[in-house]
Amino acid sequence: MARIQLENISKAFGKVQALDGISLDVKDKEFFVLFGPAGAGKTTILNCIAGIVMPEEGVVKFDDQIMNLTDSAHRNVAMVFENYALYPQMTVYDNMASALRSKLYKADESVIKERIQWAAKIMKMENLLERLPSQLSNGQKQRVAMGRALVRNPNVFLMDEPLAHLDAKLRNSMRTELKEMQANLGSTCIYVTHDFMEAMALGDRIAIIKEGKIVQIGNGDAIYYMPCNEFTAQLMGDPEINLIEAEITGTGNPYSVQFRIKDEQIVLELPEDNGVYAKIRELGLKKIHVGIRPQNVKYSFEPKEGYFKASVYSYESIGNKSVIVADCGDVFHNQLRMIAPNGLNVAIDSDVYIHLQLDHAIFFDPESRKYIVRYDEAAYIALAAAQEER
Amino acid sequence: MAGLTLNHVYKRYDNSGKKKKVKNDFAVKDLNLVCEQGEFVALLGPSGCGKTTTLRMVAGLEEITQGEIYIGDRLVNNLHPKDRNIGLAFEDYAMYPPLNVYGNVAFNLRAKKVDKAEIDRRVREIAPLMQIDDILDKMPVKLSGGQKQRVNIARAIIREPELLLMDEPLSHLDGKARQAMRTEIKRLINKIKCTTVYVTHDQLEAMSLADKIAIINFGVLQQFGTPAEVYDDPVNEFVASFIGEPPMNILETTIIKKDGMFFFTFKDSNLQIAVPRRYYSVVSDGFRCKMGVRPMDVMIGGENSHGTPEEIATFENLGDERRIGIHVGDILLMLITEDEKRYKRGDIVKLEVREEKTHLFDINTGDRIREKN
Repeated sequence: MARIQLENISKAFGKVQALDGISLDVKDKEFFVLFGPAGAGKTTILNCIAGIVMPEEGVVKFDDQIMNLTDSAHRNVAMVFENYALYPQMTVYDNMASALRSKLYKADESVIKERIQWAAKIMKMENLLERLPSQLSNGQKQRVAMGRALVRNPNVFLMDEPLAHLDAKLRNSMRTELKEMQANLGSTCIYVTHDFMEAMALGDRIAIIKEGKIVQIGNGDAIYYMPCNEFTAQLMGDPEINLIEAEITGTGNPYSVQFRIKDEQIVLELPEDNGVYAKIRELGLKKIHVGIRPQNVKYSFEPKEGYFKASVYSYESIGNKSVIVADCGDVFHNQLRMIAPNGLNVAIDSDVYIHLQLDHAIFFDPESRKYIVRYDEAAYIALAAAQEER
Repeated sequence: MAGLTLNHVYKRYDNSGKKKKVKNDFAVKDLNLVCEQGEFVALLGPSGCGKTTTLRMVAGLEEITQGEIYIGDRLVNNLHPKDRNIGLAFEDYAMYPPLNVYGNVAFNLRAKKVDKAEIDRRVREIAPLMQIDDILDKMPVKLSGGQKQRVNIARAIIREPELLLMDEPLSHLDGKARQAMRTEIKRLINKIKCTTVYVTHDQLEAMSLADKIAIINFGVLQQFGTPAEVYDDPVNEFVASFIGEPPMNILETTIIKKDGMFFFTFKDSNLQIAVPRRYYSVVSDGFRCKMGVRPMDVMIGGENSHGTPEEIATFENLGDERRIGIHVGDILLMLITEDEKRYKRGDIVKLEVREEKTHLFDINTGDRIREKN
């Protein structure tokens, strides 16, 4: 059980700056997620905490104690990897006991047994203890790998994409199980993933990592509703958020956004919102990027008031709902994504009429691509703060 | 006219040498399938279910133990693969590394000694379809996985085959590349209108691409129907739980009779769900079976709800939606909501189930129990 702090950690591999001034403060018993695309440096951060990689600059602290010079065996961290790393010739029980039987711990067999039974219960694998790894499914193997980490009662669990190996369905059900176990874990956990659903569902807080730097830290609601830039907004959500380049017109009484779709000029009035209007006025914005999530784009197959015309590029199920991608000419990077129910009779390349629910929009600066403001910002700040308190 | 017909097709791998008789040793067993001309059919099932074996028999790469396969109206059992007029695209790209993209795409036509100008015309026609027109000069090593698969598919369709066969063409690609490629395949097939058989273990891929899905388990066809049919009207527990994510909740239940009405009850749980009237002719007091209900058909009721009070075990905020897990006995019943409300573990909520959306399955065989007409 420990508070884990990183202060200004930097690390280069040859010419590649893997980490560039990373600072984190993970609270005791917090479930902290490092989230970002492949190659962002997430695993390197874990390795710095574990003592596998030595940072060139910066300090790693466990409970205010500097750990830089402590070797990894004595940091008492437990790692769980994507590829399980189980001993194939040992039963599940022996795999789980292996760390405690090592020279470092030499725990009593009765203590080992007690710990294993406790861990096996949490991981729901009491019936697997006598099996060999080859007799386990992939989901079970990962459960054993986690159980093995649990047995040691470590300062911190470091989990590196533990579910990435599993197929989509199993990954989702394992994630739900992990969520259930979380409450019984009672330990600090740092979890690396590139799956936004895992990040959202599991993380008390999430750090978004890009190119060795921290982009944003916050809880799921804060990051989802108030992403600090377009990069984060695009990462959080599937299908991806729509970003529309628009010009702001009007006097503030009201303001409108104006954009071109194919050869047509579309002008949409911005719904009144004190926060949004004040920001536009204050910054004297002329151009803006409007971010709208696919569930806030409505469609019709008949012409309708307040809807503009585009054509269907694709209509595909993504499980319990479908996505219509509309071809919108040059703007919107050609495409606009929207959520629709399954089972519609939609012909490819047919006409579709689109309505943007601008009162859910998130606005970004077209130059810096950074967050400016969103609708109902105060309400979402309150929502995120309420989550923080839990 | 049918594009592809499988008539009582069996496949047994002959392990000569090992004379041990294994029970149920058919890789494919009595498979009957009719794909209409221009139809996109997905063969879907878990690994080892026989879907790739089926595809390989159609392609002629595997002998047929018993039964007949027709492409169009030609019986192809004894035809060499090259004479079957099919296009193949597999998970591995298997490109010729010394040839550039153009050379790879043109290879089959060159081998058939097609006129040079004609080859050029066809390559130029297909390249924009697969969005490879700007990489025609590149060598395979310089291509990304997505680009390689585009070239691979272009190579399969340039021969203007009667039948296009694809075996997990997307499984090498990661998240976003995969989704983009899926869209491209769908648009492509829509345009060239070629009968296509597509093997996948990913139910989502099958649901989003196919006109019809053949769900196979242990070499036996379970159900053949449109995505909507297999989702809304599964023939058994296997299909019900294989299609959909999160999967359908399936719980063992004992039906009880109370005041002239039937209810589903569950071991170690207070939850009671009314049995839809249409099942009254097939159930009785004390009847044991399995009840299935999709996570979208389970809801949290409002303040005035008559639902059963239950404790939340898991709450997952996924941004676009939220998933809630509730213990019913030792099963975690999942539900999905787009409601903005935030819950936490331990909260008591009122659980409601859309009764009319429940399915009944036989407790032993898993077969669907249907109402009598």
